[in-house]
Amino acid sequence: MPALFLMLFPAVTIGEDFLGAPVVPHIRTIQKTETRLEILSDLTHDDALAFYREALREEEDIKFRDWKDATYIEDDGNREWHSVTISKEGKEGTEVVITKDSWTWIIGTLILRYVGVFVVLLLLFLGLKISGAFISRAIAKMDVKKDGS
Amino acid sequence: MNIYEITDLFRGILHTTGVFNFQWKLIIMWGVGSLFMYLAIAKKYEPLLLLPIGFGIFIVNFPLVPLMGYSDGHAQLIEVFYHYGLEWEIIPCIIFLGLGAMTDFGPLIANPKTLLIGAGAQLGVFITFTGTVLAGFTLKEAASVGIIGGADGPTTIYLTQHLAPQLLGPNAIAAYSYMAMVPLIQPGIMRLMTTKSEKRIRMRQLRPVSKREKILFPLVTVGIIALLVPSVIPLMGMFMLGNLMKESGVVERLTETAQGALMNIVTIFLGISVGATMHADSFLSWKPLFIFSLGLIDFGVCTAGGILTVKIMNLFLKEKINPLIGSAGVSAVPMASRVSQIQGLRYDKNNHLLMHAVGPNLAGVIGSAAAAGMFIAMFD
Repeated sequence: MPALFLMLFPAVTIGEDFLGAPVVPHIRTIQKTETRLEILSDLTHDDALAFYREALREEEDIKFRDWKDATYIEDDGNREWHSVTISKEGKEGTEVVITKDSWTWIIGTLILRYVGVFVVLLLLFLGLKISGAFISRAIAKMDVKKDGS
Repeated sequence: MNIYEITDLFRGILHTTGVFNFQWKLIIMWGVGSLFMYLAIAKKYEPLLLLPIGFGIFIVNFPLVPLMGYSDGHAQLIEVFYHYGLEWEIIPCIIFLGLGAMTDFGPLIANPKTLLIGAGAQLGVFITFTGTVLAGFTLKEAASVGIIGGADGPTTIYLTQHLAPQLLGPNAIAAYSYMAMVPLIQPGIMRLMTTKSEKRIRMRQLRPVSKREKILFPLVTVGIIALLVPSVIPLMGMFMLGNLMKESGVVERLTETAQGALMNIVTIFLGISVGATMHADSFLSWKPLFIFSLGLIDFGVCTAGGILTVKIMNLFLKEKINPLIGSAGVSAVPMASRVSQIQGLRYDKNNHLLMHAVGPNLAGVIGSAAAAGMFIAMFD
């Protein structure tokens, strides 16, 4: 199995990486900046995924999320890279995007989640208001009936 | 039997004793354990938890004690409690069941807008997260440290066990220690952030809440939370089940068990298991000290966040809310409410804020659980 893996994915063995993230064998670099690498690989999505599963097998704090249009590999540790996205819908090949770990992402997700707590409690507030109004009305109706009888 | 054989015999016996395997750093942990036991016994700080936690720290830091680990493939005593209670995330949920069975949500139902204060008071959770990441913790560790500011012990334990079990001891102890110190931490911030006229705001007496509303509350809450933050339903579901049992009034025996015997049993296992995770080898590093210092800031920012939320709400409300109840938006039930009451009385002897503060206080429990759910969803 290791021999087959070395044959299939020589990039792992020669240590090609971007910000420490292994780079899948590719035919073209679409974009490369200090914070982002976009490449096109002739591997299928499943092969590219297998490549990353094997390359990151012993790494901790890495999760694989299966999205509808891509597989998203995210680092929850302290690595320099933050994510690897492997597209499922490439026409010319499989597009792989590696991004740098950034404070924009951390702060952005924190703000969104803090707002999320407000949204949860705001909806709960509305739920209580509506159910409270509903019950008050029902009790008032019952009182009217009682008084009538 | 010659002299060598006799020496070997003694050496063999000596190797099985704690004395022969003694390490000096264990003494520090005895001190830490004793400190918590002292705070529990002499100062009455959260004694139900700090006492078993302190004893757990003390007893596990003796050489060769078969408590936390495995011998011949069998789990040792506290390892069993820890494995089934905490690793399986059962104990925090059972504690929430008991808390639900003890809680009267009337003040929150009567004034539901105080729910927003519970959300605002989670500010420190998210700010501390950033500070912890800057200090070199992983994102999961940062989330587990951040939640300390929510001042909710079971939620802290649940989230930490889920994301960063290696920090369980320091996080749980920081959460419970600071909860016990709410009367020392909060008043200064409350005084600093409110004007004299704000401190004297009187709030209208809360309306009575019908039994039907109280029965409907856990169902509405659990439904909304399940839809929006499903990851925290093990905690909130049990919380609301306990409350439904209480409010329905038809299962008094179950309610009594949940809030009494069951709660007491799991509290013993929780305390000793958490304490036992703090062995000198894992505890004596910079991380626990950092967690303790950051936890204090976290608490402060959460308190400030609650007060700030009230001030912002007051800009839009006709009937103003006394910002002194904002600090109760951190959970720490009912200690934080009592602090609001005491502070309110200092500035107006007839201004009783206790029942008004219970609303945000309970909202804080839901808010910190929602924040924990956000973090779990982020990493799972």
